[in-house]
Amino acid sequence: MYRAGSFVQGSSLFHKLDPRVKLSAVVVFSIFILWVKAPLALVGGGILLPLALAGGIRLRIIGEAIKPFLFFIALILFVHVFFGGNNRYETVSNPFLRFSFSVTGAQEGFFVIWRFLCLITSAVLLTMTTAPAQIVAAVKYFLQPLKKLNVPVDDLAVMIMLALRLMPVLLGEKERIEVAQKARGYQIRQAGGWMRLKSFILLATRVLTGVFRRADELALAMEARNYQRKGRSSLVQLNFRAADLFAVIILSIFFVIFVALNFHFG
Amino acid sequence: MIILKDVYYKYGTAEIQALCGVSLQIRQGEHLAVIGPNGCGKTTLIRHLNALLLPDAGSVNIGRLSTKNPKHRAEIRSQVGMVFQNPDHQIIGMTVEEDVAFGPENLRLPNAEIKKRVAEALCRVGIPELAGRNVEHLSGGEKRLVAIAGVLAMRPRFIALDEPTAFLDPSAARRVLEILDKLHSEGVGIIHVTHNMAEASRTQRIVVMNQGRIDLDGTPGEIIGNAGMLRQIGLQLPPVTEFLLALKAERLPVEADKVHMKDALDQVMTLVGKRKD
Repeated sequence: MYRAGSFVQGSSLFHKLDPRVKLSAVVVFSIFILWVKAPLALVGGGILLPLALAGGIRLRIIGEAIKPFLFFIALILFVHVFFGGNNRYETVSNPFLRFSFSVTGAQEGFFVIWRFLCLITSAVLLTMTTAPAQIVAAVKYFLQPLKKLNVPVDDLAVMIMLALRLMPVLLGEKERIEVAQKARGYQIRQAGGWMRLKSFILLATRVLTGVFRRADELALAMEARNYQRKGRSSLVQLNFRAADLFAVIILSIFFVIFVALNFHFG
Repeated sequence: MIILKDVYYKYGTAEIQALCGVSLQIRQGEHLAVIGPNGCGKTTLIRHLNALLLPDAGSVNIGRLSTKNPKHRAEIRSQVGMVFQNPDHQIIGMTVEEDVAFGPENLRLPNAEIKKRVAEALCRVGIPELAGRNVEHLSGGEKRLVAIAGVLAMRPRFIALDEPTAFLDPSAARRVLEILDKLHSEGVGIIHVTHNMAEASRTQRIVVMNQGRIDLDGTPGEIIGNAGMLRQIGLQLPPVTEFLLALKAERLPVEADKVHMKDALDQVMTLVGKRKD
């Protein structure tokens, strides 16, 4: 069973890269994709897809990651087409059927969605090719300077690890309750608005209760295995190898070229 | 040795005592089953063994270490490992090796030693190939083995397991029981909580709990000898014993306090006059 975003063991180039390089690349890429002009964002995002495929991520998995956002994607497009843009066209003269839409609005909407999809894909590429402990180790590495300001970096790292651990638990809990509801004949699609709201509140309450119970058990399990807040050692050892240096150089070259092009066309 | 002396425990504002004056000694390397109906205090008892719960009265000592002394607790938890009933509640890491490494990381071991212990623990439970797997992609039986490996990586002297075969299919349950037998043969003390008499009868000693007290304590044969009492508190006897009791009820000359198939077979063969020596 695959779940978009969960780590999948593999031996691709992405799996082998230092997590600090991958994390930095995702952060820089995210800033870049939101900042550059639309055509450059299109090209930059276009490079991401073959990279994701090279990382062993199938298109189906990317589709699975995007699925929960389909409503927002449709909403973004709707708002841009019907309420955005300058060159507006009116449909028919009948006052009851008349509405206006914008082609430039549709273009703008497309680019917003494109940037959004790029962000999701880059995050999926990171989380599916990097074991959570490695992501946590990389975050901990970058937060080290904050220790001087008395920021509890070790606690933050454990909190991130537990948040990553509880994410699939939360989704699993939701699925279990939905299946239990269906098994007793409840059909959400046939329910009216009020019933849907009531069902949602019930579901959210049950999921939250379940997750709190699970978090309690997890805290007990951590205690049973001698959890220490400070001074823990780590299984993960971060090693910056030649391949990582090569990746940094390639990424830097791309970054400089795109920044130059952005200024050139700006 | 683990020594519990007159332990009393009550949860929060509950009216019923979860443990009422429990005294018990568990020797190093012993294979012990704690058996009893739901709510009899089995889980509460084993949670006292690694200081997850502290007695309201009485004492729990692991060798010279007392669970009441906060300075002893870290050492106690590395000496007595705890496997929870539901492995999903115990697994902390996202991958198998991350989870197994959690205990050694808390023991502040160097990286090379952690890797060595993770590999060793996974080999001991027979799942070295799962090291890099996401725990969400494991079967129930595999998760249970990961939970046991996570405890073994701390190299405990005792392991307390809360119903380790619950929710497992027969083949996965058998695998878990075989691993427990193997760990016992390696000198690890096993405290196995169950309400399955057939599982309990694989051990050297059975402690029967009822309403927060220890009602019986003895070898499987001695415990099975109290069939009436076991039935009275809602425990089911092993099928082999039930079969021998049925033969005895038919006034056939058999000893019913047996739990192993071989013992029953020997008696049946003797009855039909075909015993081969």
